[in-house]
Amino acid sequence: MTSMNARERVLKMFAGEEVDRPPCFSGFGNVTTEGLRSLNQNFATTHLDAKMMAAAAASTYKLFGFECGVAPFDLCIEAEAMGCEINVYAHSEDLLYPTIKKKLIHNEAELDIVIPTGLTGRGRVPMMVDVIKQLKKDIGNDAAIGSFVLGPFTLAGQIMELNDLLKLSFKKPDKIGKLLDQMSDVIIQVAQEYEKAGVDYISVREMGATSDVLSPRVFKSLILPYLKKIFEKISVPSVLHICGKTNDIVPAMAESGARAVSVDQKNDVAETRKKLGPKALIFGNYDPYNVLVAGTPDLVRQTIKKCMDDGVSAVWPGCDIWPTVPPDNMKAMMDEVKKYRR
Amino acid sequence: MVTEEKKKELLAKLRNAVIQYDEDTSKEASQEALDVGMEANDAIFNGLVSGMVEVGKMFEAQEYFVPELLMCADALYAGLDILKPHVKQLDLGVKGSVVIGTVEGDVHDIGKNIVKMMFDVAGFTVYDLGRDVPLDKFVAEQLRTDSDLVCLSAMMTTTMTGMKKVIDDLRAKNPNVKIMIGGAPVSQDVADKYGADGYAKDATNALKDAINMIESLKKMKDEVEAKKKG
Repeated sequence: MTSMNARERVLKMFAGEEVDRPPCFSGFGNVTTEGLRSLNQNFATTHLDAKMMAAAAASTYKLFGFECGVAPFDLCIEAEAMGCEINVYAHSEDLLYPTIKKKLIHNEAELDIVIPTGLTGRGRVPMMVDVIKQLKKDIGNDAAIGSFVLGPFTLAGQIMELNDLLKLSFKKPDKIGKLLDQMSDVIIQVAQEYEKAGVDYISVREMGATSDVLSPRVFKSLILPYLKKIFEKISVPSVLHICGKTNDIVPAMAESGARAVSVDQKNDVAETRKKLGPKALIFGNYDPYNVLVAGTPDLVRQTIKKCMDDGVSAVWPGCDIWPTVPPDNMKAMMDEVKKYRR
Repeated sequence: MVTEEKKKELLAKLRNAVIQYDEDTSKEASQEALDVGMEANDAIFNGLVSGMVEVGKMFEAQEYFVPELLMCADALYAGLDILKPHVKQLDLGVKGSVVIGTVEGDVHDIGKNIVKMMFDVAGFTVYDLGRDVPLDKFVAEQLRTDSDLVCLSAMMTTTMTGMKKVIDDLRAKNPNVKIMIGGAPVSQDVADKYGADGYAKDATNALKDAINMIESLKKMKDEVEAKKKG
């Protein structure tokens, strides 16, 4: 097989073509403190500056050969564009991801919301377009450039109390269905804006719909229809990510229309592979904290090998990579993937 | 004097109200229990809490998920609010006050609220700091209230690391305080590394741990009762 660079490997894999080995990349945040240090940047301010974010997003590829550049890093872009205030914890020396400070919906009576017009010109969406363009210019010939949006249920959980969302999903599914439909429209607009900016792939993160929280029945009846609506409108390769317990819902995830299904360390991938067949794209499923950050290089190697033996199509973390990952562990992971032969 | 039969009927009603997340029935049955002269403690522990124990089992068996759990908790509180003012304080030999909150950077509070509920049931004084709590606030609140227990919750790996700082700080200022940590990313290993006294892995385990705690409290209560009689 002719040699291929990281981007070609990822694109071929998405296209269902043969690749020399599984790509090792991610659909989520993967900036490292090592990368931030090399750029002399602070985490909190990196979320607010296109140039800094693009540089940080490229650093994991540059330092370790991790095969992608992904932005944004936080989960607030869509909610912010709708009018939520965010907190970037500028005062804190710790590594904290931005969160939503003020919700839009505070009780059932406020469920009827109007989505602002000109959404893609609001909040940090224009900045994200800028980040993606810079990132592409910097490493886009060699590494795959990705971005992510939230799933409709998870986004609804950003703009209203999760407590209320969960209960109302049960008590007032019609009302929540209507809200999820509006969320889908927001997500489609943002995802299409990222596509225009030139991303190679988009992940949809629907963490709130994990079977740890919600029954497979509610997932299928209430959420899956809106995921289908979203994936229909994304034209670049797409990934549906759900963390936590997912073994019972992977067939439904595959039905969503996403090109690939992404799961975390709680999923039994060997079983998922059997369920979905040899051609399905399954991404996963190492623990990005307990293994990659807190584990030894040996544990990293064993875990990564097991992911591949279980049949992942790409070696991919279960969540954002926590920045304090030791460089030796990143190297051990890349090395283990590179030497792997099926 | 309430008949055994009536008592049984009301306890079953309270228990089922929680299991079937029926707030109205929980309120009605609680009021009725007081009206017929039942002990509030009896109604809470053998009615409401007994229902919640069953809910915990159903959650574990994946018959119930978090939305159901939250609705059951609402039903429990609906009854508890009526019964609690009538609880005769028993000397349990524990002071029972707790500082609880979700650490800074984390806006998830469902797990925290479930644990809080069990402390409420047990009659602890609960100082709930809410969510996204600046780390030094835990220490300040513990010192202010002289609480026996501090519970820290983090739903995300990305905020879990903040808990170590709080634990170190608490230990430095007050070596006797008990510290419990919880949340999806927390493991026994993390609890050991961070120097916590206990941990609750997730909602199920939080509930189980809290129930274990309540059960040991019940045992203590029974012993106190037995001594009184004896």
